[in-house]
Amino acid sequence: MRSSARALSMSSTVRAEFAALGYGVGLRPPHYSHVLESRPAVDWFEVISENFLVDGGRPLHVLDRVRDDYPVVLHGVSLSIGSADPIDHSYLRRLRQLSERIEAAWISDHLCWTGVGGHNLHDLLPLPYSEEALDHVAARVRCVQDALGRRIALENVSSYLTFCDSVLTEWDFLAAVAERADCAILLDVNNVFVSARNHEFDPHAYLDAVPVERVIQFHLAGHSDCGTHLLDTHDHPVCDAVWELYAAAVQRFGALPTLIEWDDRIPAFDRLHAEAQRAATVAAQAGRDHARRDAAAPLAADHGA
Amino acid sequence: MTTLAETQRLLWQLITAPEGVAAALAADGDRGGSVRAHLLRTVRSDQGLDAAQRLDIYANMYFFRILDVLKEDYPATRALLGDVAFHNLITDYLVRHPPAHFSIREAGRQLPELLAGHPAQTHHPCVADLARYERDLHDAFDAPDAAALRAAALAAIPQQDWPQLRFALHPSVRLLASQWPVHDLRAAVDRGETAADPDPEATWLCVWRDELVVYHRPIAEDELARLAAITRGATFGEVCALADESAPDGDAAQEIAAALARWLANGWLVNAPATR
Repeated sequence: MRSSARALSMSSTVRAEFAALGYGVGLRPPHYSHVLESRPAVDWFEVISENFLVDGGRPLHVLDRVRDDYPVVLHGVSLSIGSADPIDHSYLRRLRQLSERIEAAWISDHLCWTGVGGHNLHDLLPLPYSEEALDHVAARVRCVQDALGRRIALENVSSYLTFCDSVLTEWDFLAAVAERADCAILLDVNNVFVSARNHEFDPHAYLDAVPVERVIQFHLAGHSDCGTHLLDTHDHPVCDAVWELYAAAVQRFGALPTLIEWDDRIPAFDRLHAEAQRAATVAAQAGRDHARRDAAAPLAADHGA
Repeated sequence: MTTLAETQRLLWQLITAPEGVAAALAADGDRGGSVRAHLLRTVRSDQGLDAAQRLDIYANMYFFRILDVLKEDYPATRALLGDVAFHNLITDYLVRHPPAHFSIREAGRQLPELLAGHPAQTHHPCVADLARYERDLHDAFDAPDAAALRAAALAAIPQQDWPQLRFALHPSVRLLASQWPVHDLRAAVDRGETAADPDPEATWLCVWRDELVVYHRPIAEDELARLAAITRGATFGEVCALADESAPDGDAAQEIAAALARWLANGWLVNAPATR
């Protein structure tokens, strides 16, 4: 019996295609046995698509069993939507097959490039925020969505460099890609925080510029402070400043499905689950604060009049 | 203004430079500095970090991410060579075989091939076979699923049809012949023991997956030859003929019957047998 998703408030045409899943965690190999045996009360799981684009064996067996009880989102790292290379249609065919096999809640990947010249750096590199890149990426997203037969969500990445040719801000580029390609946005709050620090912009300005109706999911993760820059390491708990930014994101975009990523120095499952539960608590509090402010606003206006 | 393709090729070239971004730019400086000029036109520098330092963040992540994956894929190879030699080996490897597949699980596929002609074999003659064995374990793990052929399915086949039967090996089966017991070395490393070069000992191995678990078993030389013949599409009659050659004392029929029973029990054979 496949579980039904917890109801959260979402609206608009784009959002209507993405289920209100609640609070999930990334499914990683150290937790496979625990999840299969204990069926923890997590709302949903996200998996790295490429880890399951295999021919057989334990990964697919585990994924099928997990999918029996939980919604699953496919989150890719090799779409390379910004690459100058041709789109890899064999990859897309396999991704679509996997998505259909598990009836994936949705498919996401990153607004980045991961390789060129037929090579894969296995890293998420930023794009120049130029008109050329915008045209290129938007056209490719449409092509990918046609090949997959569904709308995808693109995630903002953490970055450590910027380009001389950029003429747009990252947030304007992200918004423009989403509008032109008619895709959704997976907003990684930690990545906004990391890039804001690395490139000295206001993370709240980022949030304020992203179109509300396009955002369908949040990511949260821990990062490392390397002194000269922050590094998106996914090996720590979410830090307080990112929780605060997450609360601000919930107030702007609503209590959207939220996913905790933890990929290195992976803790016991209960610790990871606790982080997802904290996200639910922070989101609920942010929602209440927002409602109180909305209620108070007319009074403040009256006082000022 | 550089094109997106030019920008990406520049970054790829510098990120994958084996000695790091700074060394690559220094070498470029000796040749006139055109790459550095291109980089400075492409990536912004600021008071915190210059363009090369920013790119070096990516270069480090590229190398160490793949190194970490290959450490997991080849634990005994790494243990035998030692951390420094393994690090240097992967540096060489990535120059010759930069990852091209969408999955990072494929990043180390050609490492056994590189080791087959590598100077590391001078001190560790078994290392290429060891890496091959570790790759076989890795590949068997997520090879295609297939229903193993069971003895009951063969019972109804008329005796006269047997010579023309063709079997296939389960997609997870890997066969390895080595002059060293590389499986014992890997098992020792898995137990947390120190890796030491084994004494030479002719070894034939079958690696396979049954359901979800990967197994290995030492086999006899002639058994490997028969299984290899099956992979080449030999009929059962041709496989038996191989057995005849290797069993001059006349008990070949018994031997092949016992081998067939073993293969079936282990789940090494697939496909309903078909006559020509």
